[in-house]
Formats: sequence, C-alpha cells, structure tokens
Amino acid sequence: MDAKRIKFERTGGFAGIRFAADFELNDLPNNEAHQILAFLDDVDFEKLPAQITGNQQVADGFSYSITVVTEHHEQTVVTSETSAPNKMKPLLELLTQIAREQLRNKK
Amino acid sequence: MHNHRHPINCILPPHVLHEIAKNGSEEQKNKAIDTLKTSEQMRGHRRALTDFSGAVMRFTAVAGKERIVYDAKHASSLPGTIVRKEGDPASSDVAVNEAYDGAGATYDLYKNIYNRDSIDNKGMRIDSTVHYQNGYDNAFWDGQQMVYGDGDGNLFNRFTIAIDVIGHELTHGVTQFEAGLNYSQQSGALNESMSDVFGSLVKQYSMKQTAADADWLIGQGLLTPGVKGIALRSMKAPGTAYDDPVLGKDPQPATMTDYVNTTSDNGGVHINSGITNHAFYVVATEIGGYAWEKAGQIWYVTLRDKLTATSNFQECADLTYQTAAELFGSGSLEQQAVKAGWAEVGIAMSGTTPPIPPTPTPTPQPSGNGCLGSLLKLIGAA
Repeated sequence: MDAKRIKFERTGGFAGIRFAADFELNDLPNNEAHQILAFLDDVDFEKLPAQITGNQQVADGFSYSITVVTEHHEQTVVTSETSAPNKMKPLLELLTQIAREQLRNKK
Repeated sequence: MHNHRHPINCILPPHVLHEIAKNGSEEQKNKAIDTLKTSEQMRGHRRALTDFSGAVMRFTAVAGKERIVYDAKHASSLPGTIVRKEGDPASSDVAVNEAYDGAGATYDLYKNIYNRDSIDNKGMRIDSTVHYQNGYDNAFWDGQQMVYGDGDGNLFNRFTIAIDVIGHELTHGVTQFEAGLNYSQQSGALNESMSDVFGSLVKQYSMKQTAADADWLIGQGLLTPGVKGIALRSMKAPGTAYDDPVLGKDPQPATMTDYVNTTSDNGGVHINSGITNHAFYVVATEIGGYAWEKAGQIWYVTLRDKLTATSNFQECADLTYQTAAELFGSGSLEQQAVKAGWAEVGIAMSGTTPPIPPTPTPTPQPSGNGCLGSLLKLIGAA
C-alpha cells in the first residue's frame, strides 16, 4: 500500500480523552514507517470495510479511527478495541504509541 | 450450558441439582447447593448462574458477597490467574486489594441501601482483573467482568486507585441487567452518567459524606502529578476537571445549550454525560443530606424499573420526576428538587416550558450556580 500520511484517533475509554496523531510517513524513523506499512499490508487495509464494529458493546472500551492517505486516495476505517481483528492490534498499538510520543513532544 | 456436566460432578446434571436445591430437605438442599457451587467454581463462569432462577437464587443468597480478583500479568487474556478470593487475607499487591475492596464497597452500597444483591440482583460473583496489558490506561466492563490497567505512569496512575472508578465499572453491569441502555448517543451518555452517579455514591457512602461534603469528582488520583487536573470529570462543575497541554481540556458540558454533537466516542457518551451528571448533583444538593438516600434512590428505581435501551435525556428527566412522586409524593420537596435539577441543565419536564432558551454558545460554560442560578435565568436577571 502506497501510504503517504496517516491520521489516527483514539476516543472513549473510561477517561473519555481523545488521543490523535496526524503524520507523514516520511517524517517517521525508517523502521517505524516500514513497520506501519507492513502492518497495513498484514490487515489488507485497502479491502477493509469503513466500519468494523461488532455486536458486543464494551462499556468504556476504546474506539479507533485510522485514515490512510495515498497519492490519489483517502480511506478511513473505524473500529473498536474489541471488534478490531487480532491482526490489526499491532497496528493500533503502534499508532497509539506514536500518538502518545507526539503528545509528549508537544508538552 | 445448562446441561454441561463437570467430570467431578457428573452424577447429577445441574438442572436436577437445582430442583433438589429448591424442593429437597434441608440436608439435600445444602448438599445440592454445595455441589452446584463447586461445579460453578470449577467452570469459573458465573454467567451460567444468571441463567437459572429459583434454585440459584437460593444458592447465591447463601453465597452472599463473592469476589474474585485475577491477575492478567500484563497480558490480554481474560480473566487471568486467581490472586484473591472472597475471605482471603489482603495481598501484597495494592491493585489487587483496591479491586477487591472497591468491589466490596460497591456491593455494600447496592445491597445495604437499594437491597440489590450484586450486579444481576441474583448474587452474581464479582470478577475483576488487574494488571491488564502493559501500561494500559483504561478500565472497562466487558459484559462479564471488570478489567483494570496499570496506567502508563506518565499521564495515568493505576485505574484501581479511585474507588468511584470501580463503582462506575460495576454499575455498567447493573445497567446491562436493568435498563440495558444502548451505548451510543443520549442513551449511551445516560449509561455513562448512571455509572458516574453510582460510582460517586460508592465513594460518598464509603466515606460517609453528605452531598455538601462530597467532592463530586470522578477519577480523583488517577492523573499523575505532572498533569494539570484534579480528576477526569466533575459532576459539580462539568468541564473543569482538567486543562492540560497534553490531555487538552475537559470537554464536558453542563447544560443542553452546550450539548456536543459528535461521531467520536460513540456519539460523545463520555462528553454529554456531564449534563445528566450535573442534574443529579443539583438534585442531591437540593435535597441535602446523604445523596444515596433519596436522590440515589430515585435514580436507582428509575434505572431498574423505567429506563429502556433507547431512553434519552428527556425521558430520563420525566421518569425521575415520576419516580420521585411515587417514592416521596407528588409535589414533595424531593420531586421539586428533581424538577429543579433538570431545569438547571436546561431540561423541562414534558409539557412545560424549557427554563433556558436553547441558544448555542461556542464554548462549554460549566454551571455551578445551583438552583439560584436557574431561578435568576428564569426571571431574566442572569
């Protein structure tokens, strides 16, 4: 997948605090950028539906929104902590970590 | 599941044991109850218990308060390894003890004040897992049990640190068994608000605080000292709990004027809950005394008997007003307090004129003026 930019948002959770990150892959360290691309391929991101939300409602679970921007296209997938396929969890963890680092740097 | 036979207890299937527990002699009942209890513990699933009526209610009445705390050992697998059972001495792990004690305090409020026997009112065992994942900054109710993370240590401390968080999570269970409020938009915000209301009442009850003495904060102690904030939410003054360069500002509105329309967070369930939280705070302080006694009773009966999966704020207002009349009399001070509480947040009882004109303003304006503020608005003096 020829991703250029990622927009990520985590909302909900007990705290209800929004965590977000918006970054160009070129601005990331090489290993992180490659890892993200590999994770996107692992989940076949281009073929994912816009919403992956199961029937199970988990009070205070996290909700996620991932937008991948390529040269000609933008695709958003919304999911939750418990509905996300297992294959997607490493991607969610990495994006959360990057969002956290960005927030820390902002501080 | 009803007919599942554990290898050790396979002589009689559970439904037969239930019949014996219900109809046998005292000795037979006790033996059947013991066998059911063992079988249930071996399976480690309390959901099976909730499927049964009669016999199990007898069994759980015998069991009373029953808690188990598990340790996920920083993995994602639930429930994890048992580290403390009902009656066990305290652990050397503070999170284990907080989860155990907080679950106990929550059970006590529901049992002693509202005569509710645990989450399902049938003596359901209360399961909690601590040390979930690594640096996990959250606590949640997964439909069967409570789960607590240790926090990242940078922004959040461990989530068992605040007793109201524990009461909050357990109340999600109560809501699931009663009103079943859908977890999105206004019904979801009501679901969240019920958890904050009873979470705060668990704290107030355990500290024997009156409505006037209580801090009405949710998650006090959860934020690390480096964060600019006192808690995650304030029922007294929604929107003022934190204002930090990293976390941002507490986004909760206090009135319908500032209601937030959003697709995030299941339609802002943790945001707009500030409105109904504040209504409860005003009702409780208007009535005075211990908030769990009257205001809590009105909210509890409404949650248990009246709200449904799709209820919205207006319905909740009308139903609490109706419940107050049933419990304390039509036109009673308690019912007037309920009306005043909802008026304060901009919700009039159905069929009456809204007390605050719905003029949108760009930023949330937490209101802490109580009914006096509302009265002044009504007469145009504020």
